Amino acid sequence: MKKISIYILLAALIGASGCDKKLDLKNPQTISVEDAFSTSDKVKNVLIANYASMGDAALFGGDVLWMSELMASDGELNWVGTFPEPRQIWSKSILLNNSYVRDTYSQAYRVIFNSNNIIANADKVVAIDKAKVIAEAKFLRAMAYFELIKYFGEKPFFAGSPATLKGVPLILVPGPTAPQDPFYNLPRASVDDVYKQIILDFTDAETNLPPKNGFYANKPSASLALARVYLQQDKFAEARDAANRCITVATANGFSMVSNYANAFNNSSNTSEDLFAMQVTDQAGTNSCFTFFSTDTYGARDGDIEVTSLHYNKYSPTDSRRNLFFFEYGEWRCGKWRDIYKNVKVMRLAEAYVTRAECNKRMGTAVGATVDADLNVTRSRAGLAPAIVGATLPQILIERELELAFEGQGLWDAKRLRLTIDGKPWNDNKLTFPIPERERNINPALEQNPGYN
Amino acid sequence: MTKLKLLLLMSLVSFAQIAVAQNKTVTGKVTDQRDGSPIIGASIQAKGSKIGTISGRDGEFSLSVPDNTKSLTISAIGFGPFEVALTGSPIQAALKISEVQNLDEVIVTGYGTQVKRDITSVIARVKGSDVQNMPVADLSQTLQGRAAGVFVEAQNGKIGEGIKIRVRGASSLNGSNEPLYVVDGVPIVGGVYGSATSDINFNDVESFDILKDASASAIYGSRAANGVVLITTKRGKAGKTKFTLNTQYGFQEPTNKREFLNAQEYIDYYLEAATNSGKYHYNRVGNTRGFANEAAAVTSMVNFVKGRFTRYSGWSDWTKVETNTNWQDQAFNDDASTGLIELSAQGGNEKNKFYVSGSINKQDGILIANKFKRMSLRFNMDNQLTNWLKMGVNMSLGKTERQRVSDDNAFNTPMQLVALSPITPIRNLAGELYNTPTTTYYNGLLDVEYAQNHANGYRNQGLIFTESRIAKGLTLRNELGLDMVNQSDERFWGSKTDGGAGIGGFAWAQWFRNTRWTTNNFLNYATSFNDAHKLDVTAGMSFENRYDEYSYVEGQNFADESIQTLAGAGTISGGTTTQEKNNLLSYFARANYNYNRKYLFGITARIDADSRFGSNYKYGTFPSVSAGWIVTEENFMKGINWLSFLKIRGSYGIVGNNTGIGFYSAKAQYSSVKYGTSPGGLGINNFGNDDLRWEKVATTDIGFEFGLFKNRISAEFSWYNKKTTDMLLAVPTPSPSGTRSVLGNIGEMENKGIELSLNTTNLAGKNLKWTTNINIAKNKNKVLKLDGEQKEILPTSSRFANAVIIGQPLGVFYGVKYAGVDPANGDPIYFNQDNKTTTNVYDAAGKFIIGDPNPDWIGGINNTVSYNGIELSILFQGVFGNQVQDGAGGFMSASGDWFDNQTRDQLNRWQNPGDITDVPQARLNRWGDFDSPQMSTRYVYDASYVRLKNLTLAYNLPANVANKLKISTARFYVSGVNLHTFTKYPGWDPEVNTDYRSGNVNQGSDFYAAPQIKSIVFGLTIGL
Repeated sequence: MKKISIYILLAALIGASGCDKKLDLKNPQTISVEDAFSTSDKVKNVLIANYASMGDAALFGGDVLWMSELMASDGELNWVGTFPEPRQIWSKSILLNNSYVRDTYSQAYRVIFNSNNIIANADKVVAIDKAKVIAEAKFLRAMAYFELIKYFGEKPFFAGSPATLKGVPLILVPGPTAPQDPFYNLPRASVDDVYKQIILDFTDAETNLPPKNGFYANKPSASLALARVYLQQDKFAEARDAANRCITVATANGFSMVSNYANAFNNSSNTSEDLFAMQVTDQAGTNSCFTFFSTDTYGARDGDIEVTSLHYNKYSPTDSRRNLFFFEYGEWRCGKWRDIYKNVKVMRLAEAYVTRAECNKRMGTAVGATVDADLNVTRSRAGLAPAIVGATLPQILIERELELAFEGQGLWDAKRLRLTIDGKPWNDNKLTFPIPERERNINPALEQNPGYN
Repeated sequence: MTKLKLLLLMSLVSFAQIAVAQNKTVTGKVTDQRDGSPIIGASIQAKGSKIGTISGRDGEFSLSVPDNTKSLTISAIGFGPFEVALTGSPIQAALKISEVQNLDEVIVTGYGTQVKRDITSVIARVKGSDVQNMPVADLSQTLQGRAAGVFVEAQNGKIGEGIKIRVRGASSLNGSNEPLYVVDGVPIVGGVYGSATSDINFNDVESFDILKDASASAIYGSRAANGVVLITTKRGKAGKTKFTLNTQYGFQEPTNKREFLNAQEYIDYYLEAATNSGKYHYNRVGNTRGFANEAAAVTSMVNFVKGRFTRYSGWSDWTKVETNTNWQDQAFNDDASTGLIELSAQGGNEKNKFYVSGSINKQDGILIANKFKRMSLRFNMDNQLTNWLKMGVNMSLGKTERQRVSDDNAFNTPMQLVALSPITPIRNLAGELYNTPTTTYYNGLLDVEYAQNHANGYRNQGLIFTESRIAKGLTLRNELGLDMVNQSDERFWGSKTDGGAGIGGFAWAQWFRNTRWTTNNFLNYATSFNDAHKLDVTAGMSFENRYDEYSYVEGQNFADESIQTLAGAGTISGGTTTQEKNNLLSYFARANYNYNRKYLFGITARIDADSRFGSNYKYGTFPSVSAGWIVTEENFMKGINWLSFLKIRGSYGIVGNNTGIGFYSAKAQYSSVKYGTSPGGLGINNFGNDDLRWEKVATTDIGFEFGLFKNRISAEFSWYNKKTTDMLLAVPTPSPSGTRSVLGNIGEMENKGIELSLNTTNLAGKNLKWTTNINIAKNKNKVLKLDGEQKEILPTSSRFANAVIIGQPLGVFYGVKYAGVDPANGDPIYFNQDNKTTTNVYDAAGKFIIGDPNPDWIGGINNTVSYNGIELSILFQGVFGNQVQDGAGGFMSASGDWFDNQTRDQLNRWQNPGDITDVPQARLNRWGDFDSPQMSTRYVYDASYVRLKNLTLAYNLPANVANKLKISTARFYVSGVNLHTFTKYPGWDPEVNTDYRSGNVNQGSDFYAAPQIKSIVFGLTIGL
């Protein structure tokens, strides 16, 4: 009798210890964090997915573009949709719980989280690709920080002492695995610190990215990104040189302006002019500019954003860029975002020309080309004749505005040009987003922007 | 585990070779004389000595006695002492009952059984025989109104679909609030379609034991928070083989139909609405459309409505009222029948016993194209291999065929036909069904003719077990069980239906296979010493493996729509497969101790290690303690004859709920992500939480049981306080962590309540017997702490008002209070936040708690009368103090807001200044001139009801007549379900929770939900 009891006890113990191992089960639909960073190919796949994170609607899947344009509308755009939250952005009366504002903030940090993990695990990448993988991760990280600092930074870089202006929390290495760890209750770094980091990342990206890289980040897009950053700092020489490097490398590697302006938009694959675009297909990716700018005729909503004649009339009747607008439900609509499942344009080569023109003009130089030559690149493509000779700064700025209209640069150009928007001066508190309420509910170290509480 | 089984086998073999018998050993079995069922816990004593034992599971005992012992004395609670001479072994002792009572009932407690008298926890028992042959599809429906504190609610009258069961309220916000079902020791796995319990033929069920308090349910640890329903199937009894043939045939119809406008009323109503809204636009909106005068505005509106009439009336002339379609009737199957044929046999000898049954149950739903059919086979076998080793097998195989209809919010679900206009003919002159634009909305009958919706389920439940008597009082039971459900869901939508239009028809095929295998291995030791101490200890381990597989394919462009499987699809447009696994390793123990039959103590603990838990909380411990005092055993009570029994008991324990956690939620994971034309990416899919664990429910229970007049009246009362902590919610996290939230344990909720059940034997004559069972329960649910991303979860829908608010019950209605109609102008008015003044602007109205979907009281009364072979059983069931919100009110009871046909109560609309009514002026909202009706107390109704749930009248053929017919028994019966409902609810049926939004929070909602099913069946049961 005792024997059997011992056997049973033994059996139960053996059985139980075997079972214990079975308590750690793998989800067949997913892989573990360790596994995701275990090989060169897998780290590269995490990088690809970070482009998808970047292309989320809340970030470069469209929101950061149309939010910038709506806020800078100055009577040229109307929000007529039923959604109250884009209306808050348009009317510059944003509530602390605005979900678009909240989602953009979070999504930018998701991209940063992904980049930090990729960089920390770059040792797994085969040597030949390692620098490129790090460069792409840094490019994406800097793009995310640049949107954060522009939208959530207390004031623009040039609005005061950037070292004391409040920026956004800086996190550059992976933190603890538990997201609820108090480690993440980070305070806001200064505007200056955030800009320094953005420049570091973009510079490293520019150095190590290949001139051509499919639809992923490439050297000219990093250069143009740097030009954008320097413009936000009023550093025109640096911006000029970056734009010049962009044009030089791009044109030497097959990038060129498309011949017809209309063909530069509504593309399902990148054009020769696209330095960087978020990819959208019927399987993956979103384009929220399409959602709000287009109409139900093209499968979007009911035409939530209208273009007023104030903008439309800025184009000369012979300007082919004007023909891209379409008229529906009694108002003009921006044709750049007309069709469904089309890429979101982030950087076009055209921008490098207008940037170089502006900076050469301001600096009185002719780095790369003359001001007139650069300005006529976009003007002649738009069918405008005759070519301008002896271009003035206002001429250059209006050309920039028309060429890049409603592609997301609106608010940033308005601020750096110290314009008044809908009666509000460029440094008005309400031209900055509030730190989302939910972030401050969790993280007491996070201070709110002036004008919000 | 394989090792364990091998060793076990080896040990059993070696055990067989152990020689025994140093003493004279007597074995035997104690049974109830009435039906031969075993009596456990009977005391067996060698006469004239202190040597004794108690009978174990199956009433069997083994006792070593001195050689000179001549007889044994056997006694059990409720049975008089019985002396049996020792002439040989084994001994068969059939005990006679000594008093009217059910205290001797053996209750299944999970990994064991216990006599009711000695139980210190709260377990409700429903006998299989009480619910046998009830014409319902799902066994959980049979429990409705029969057990105190067990709330049962069918979502709607679709057959074999969702049923909500709450044992003592809801304990979780994000997890399941359904009890755990265990069939013969094996937890049942859920399928994807319908409810899992509808796969089981409940005529095979011997008993349902519902573990309610923590001391009863703690033996199921991390899955016990919502109670446990233990289902025990029938087993064979020794004796002549009994065959039973059971047939049933009957009819089903809706419990209620609503009244809608007929064609003439519809035309008049909408012409009136047109006139009113023309005037409204001109006078009150400010004539924004620039009509010349009021008459012009009215003419424009009237012409618009007449144009619609012409469109909606198809080939017929509405001015002559040529069509008067009752669309509601089209939704129902006016020829719904139900049928059952079943054959079972049971019998065997002392060594081998068996129960087999086969059954086909076919039920038409009350809705058109809604059907249910269940075929099931069962084989339960017990075999006494040696005097110490017994083995048994349970096998059941079932097929459940469902012809389903869409959820209540789909345009193609039959009940939404009521929205169509009575002036619309069903078919055009060519005999084809009309669709939009002739019908106001999609004509759901198109789905009946051109779509298919079939879900078939196959459930296989098996169990083998061995039971070894290792030593005196010590038995080892090993069980290996498998529960497997395979479901297929094949659908087809032809190109004429809304699901298949534009893509040349659409079809999908989904396959699910959910399996669980379980092994339970446990020892039971029962002993008594010094005639005063009785101890029963159970300890063991269990391991469960759950494996869910899923595959899906869809296709479109069907060349020929008579080929409706995916083989006919021109394009395969999508597909996927998934697999999920879960393991659960458990150790459990229970000890019951009883001193002098007076003082009872119980202690239970289970340790659950679940693969889904976070790494910091891999093992959860779920303890409970309980105690009872049988006061009537005390000497000072001996003189009080009218009080036959009084027990005071209390328990406390902690149990868990693991269902809020997905199989892999605790771990951080990366999954495949698409970007452009890239070959593939890997993106973070879940941020893990190493602290993720079960929700914890601590329950205190205090109660008493008593019996009066030799237990002709017996009652049980319980008070409980059930508090959930560590409730699962999305815990907000700072965005720089990479995510905004992670699932964590931070909420709290409580349920407090009382339960009373009363059983009386009113008449106990030789021929005439009358018994009454009453049960009643009150539960009060309250959300205590959220602390998630939101401090409260307010309604986001304009048609429903369910909210989660701290201090309020889960799913409480929060919204606008309707103040009726302004007598001056017929506007609907609402209370402002001051709750005194009113406004006619919906958005300006105040917000209040406006209802509660959770009932205050639930109960049931069952009366059974038998007289000379005639039996009558009448069950009334009631639910009190809850409200239901009709989300469809804004469409069909909306004083003509749009062209949906209106309920007839809308004829009470305001017409002239001074009219006092609560139905606003009829106005058609053509131009968005005013707010269309949204959720307010206008559509919140008292949904209390009392229902004649079940009535059965049966006649048993006298034995002598039956014998002449060469049969042993014959029983004719007529049985009805949901025969009559008493309620103030104006909708179809107060027992409702519309399927498409049903959940823990979203309760008490009606939205074109089908009324419940009323059935009447005639049956014949013949025993051979």
